[in-house]
Amino acid sequence: MSGFLQIVIGGLSQGGVFAAVALGFSLVYRVTGVVNLSQGAFCVLGAMAMYYFQVVFGWPTPIAAFAAIVSVVAFGLLVGVSTFVPAVSTLPVSSTLVLTAGLLTFLEGVALIVWGNQPYALPPFSGEAPVVFGALRIPTQGLWLAGGTVAMIAALWRLVYRTSLGRALQACAENATAARLMGIDTKRMMLISFGLAAAIGATSGLLVAPITSLQFDSGSFFTTSGFIAVAIGGMGSFAGSVIGGLTLGVAEQLAAYYVSSLFANTLALLLLLAMLLWRPNGLFSSGPARRVDVRSEAPVHRAVIRLPDGRMIGLALALVIGLGVMPLLPLPNGVLPSLAISMILFIAVLGLDVLMGWAGQVSLGQAGFMAIGGYTAAILATTYDWSPLAGVAAGVALALVCALLLSLVTGKLRGHYLALATLTFGLLVDSLTVGLIDLTGGPSGLVGIPSFGVAGFDFDTPASMYWLALALAAIFVVLLEGGMRSKFGRDLQAVRTDQLAAAALGVNVGRVKTTALCISSALASLSGSLYAFNFHFLSPEMVATPRSFEMIAMLVLGGEGTLVGGLFGALALTLLPTLVQGLALYKTMAEGALLVGTFLLLPEGLFGRFVLAIARWGKAGSMAQGKLPT
Amino acid sequence: MTSPALEVLDVSRRFGGLLAVDQVSFTIAQGGLSALIGPNGAGKTTLFNAITNLFPPSAGEVRFLGESLAGLAGDRIARLGLIRTFQSARVFPGMTVLENALAGACLHVRAHPAAQMLRLPGARAEERKLRGKAEALLDLIGLLAFRDSAATDLPMGAQKNLEVVRALMANPRMLLLDEPAAGLNDSETADLAALLTAIRDTGVTIMVVEHNMSLVMGIADQVIVLDAGKLVAVGSPTEIQANRRVIEAYVGAEG
Repeated sequence: MSGFLQIVIGGLSQGGVFAAVALGFSLVYRVTGVVNLSQGAFCVLGAMAMYYFQVVFGWPTPIAAFAAIVSVVAFGLLVGVSTFVPAVSTLPVSSTLVLTAGLLTFLEGVALIVWGNQPYALPPFSGEAPVVFGALRIPTQGLWLAGGTVAMIAALWRLVYRTSLGRALQACAENATAARLMGIDTKRMMLISFGLAAAIGATSGLLVAPITSLQFDSGSFFTTSGFIAVAIGGMGSFAGSVIGGLTLGVAEQLAAYYVSSLFANTLALLLLLAMLLWRPNGLFSSGPARRVDVRSEAPVHRAVIRLPDGRMIGLALALVIGLGVMPLLPLPNGVLPSLAISMILFIAVLGLDVLMGWAGQVSLGQAGFMAIGGYTAAILATTYDWSPLAGVAAGVALALVCALLLSLVTGKLRGHYLALATLTFGLLVDSLTVGLIDLTGGPSGLVGIPSFGVAGFDFDTPASMYWLALALAAIFVVLLEGGMRSKFGRDLQAVRTDQLAAAALGVNVGRVKTTALCISSALASLSGSLYAFNFHFLSPEMVATPRSFEMIAMLVLGGEGTLVGGLFGALALTLLPTLVQGLALYKTMAEGALLVGTFLLLPEGLFGRFVLAIARWGKAGSMAQGKLPT
Repeated sequence: MTSPALEVLDVSRRFGGLLAVDQVSFTIAQGGLSALIGPNGAGKTTLFNAITNLFPPSAGEVRFLGESLAGLAGDRIARLGLIRTFQSARVFPGMTVLENALAGACLHVRAHPAAQMLRLPGARAEERKLRGKAEALLDLIGLLAFRDSAATDLPMGAQKNLEVVRALMANPRMLLLDEPAAGLNDSETADLAALLTAIRDTGVTIMVVEHNMSLVMGIADQVIVLDAGKLVAVGSPTEIQANRRVIEAYVGAEG
């Protein structure tokens, strides 16, 4: 019994952090209608600042804590005013969500540069000796954490419900337009909520750092756990956030103890998927929940990116020939393998474009389908001696089955709930690749994967792998381009921009979304298996959730809805670190910064901008004939 | 005896405490052009939304060609041949004018997606045919010159016309048009009237919500008047113009 209580206490202290992150989510969501995925990174920044002030500079704990919180909030306000607030004001909600995922990556990259990739732990505030109640041993830091969380909740509650600033924040949540008409500076309120959320994150981060050792990428862990907590409790509900966080903490600890620590995450994620299916709005449906519906019904404005028909074939031929001769050129060391990797990843990004760029369905779980394809093909080829081609086919089939199951959950979800479900799916696959050691080799990975081969020919050099991926990618681009220029593409775009109007014309919205997910998953699965055959090795981190974010960055950088654009994103993000070795440390930060910057400054992406330029040049004459009616 | 195109039977729609549409019943014969009129807030658009199950009726039933629409999702209703437009033009952003028109034909593309991906001759021929039809309709309404422009670049009136073209591309058996003349000037309204009459003459049943009385009285063969959620009158334009209750609803009761 005392063992059980001990676990519950451990779970509650872990859950306290999840609750704090969830509170940050709910606060920003209530004011802006957006889920700020970068929330978890502020926990790490808080702990990191605390480490410098307390351990490196030797300041006393209270002063160090105060200085850490103040500096993180200052940094948070800077990030908020330069990225988050402009994004909320100008971008559709799904893009803002992805932008905050980019912010998360960016902040993790900052932490990597400052802190390196070592885990750090802070000294407990009041010594190592635990408080003893009979057989129970409670670490004092757990009490600090509990007290701190309660104090934050109380302060937040007082601020929101008892002050005029709180009323202004509430007004933004209820009706931003009306609030603006009443003279409330809604942008300032957004910034304030972002800063407050940073303060909450920093405080909980420095409180938990003595219990859990943190490293630069712990932010993702906090973000996803807090996200799950807030989904269980109810987005935008403060009470729900706290209860969701504590529930998740306890459930994970119990699962870790009674089932297996490897599957603690898996069970929590399955719980969440069931929850999304059963009660998509969480246990405590929040007050101003309709906000997101208003926003996602708002039309999504995007430039029409179309190559003039006549120029298509020439450009396509030039591109394929240009890319085809690359391996024959004298390339610097390491470039050819990177080219092969870019081309393999491009196949998955192509699928993501169908899903996100054309059908408008945010997916944060594309790497999960890569993992399904990669592991299926690799396991069948190594353990069961299947031919690589049969392995690839089995991987694609399994990915399709998973996509159909996932679409049962995602069918009715939109905006950030859809993002949450796909993220959960990706994390679930992550935890299975780590947990199913007998099958996948666990964290250390699967070795001895053969080369891909068909009919006696082995693709065992980087050049052959590159040509294979290029040929496949070219075929898929041609096929998809044909599909996108006909009924299927029009249905996808109709669903992306206006589901109501699409349905009124007879488009079966649910089936269109499911088809897009299936295409996307099949391509990701194929890409994942080629990836495994290419490296002759596959470990969970090669196809984990950060890879999903990376592929989104590739897609957005290249240009959503352009099919070919993703290739340029993949080339840029894969080749740059190879060409400039010194950049490797900055890769994570640069990926995040590129994603955020592209959204704000170049929403059509690199290739999209290129196509627009060509189209404008080609149309310069024909436009003169027709004047717009007035 | 063929069944009527649309039967609205005791339909009510409640929003919280507000009864926006109150036990409205009327019938629209096949091949007719009916107009739904009434002062602002009379419940015209609410009734439209109730008919197409966007906000389903709280009570009552709607039948289309004899078949009940109860519980049918929007795309199923469209599949039966009942196509609607929206009060604020909802063209698809990010698509050209021509693509918007073609998007309306989604129920009538026979070619398999695989055939389209492979650009098989049959699929291409079908696409060309649809394109020709869309271009003819765009030409009819004066939008052909802008076929490759972004639909959202068009002025609001032209966007509403494009929405009508898109609805026509769906080969409707009945069209529900929500204020198609809003934002059009007099000559554009006359063009629209000619187009609507021409569509009616091809056998498509039409029902419009409209404020423009001269348009309504000029082309409708049946006028349905709503006020404060209740049915006030149904009749031919001349009957309606003589109806005291209608005049009261519009200019207010005297004494």
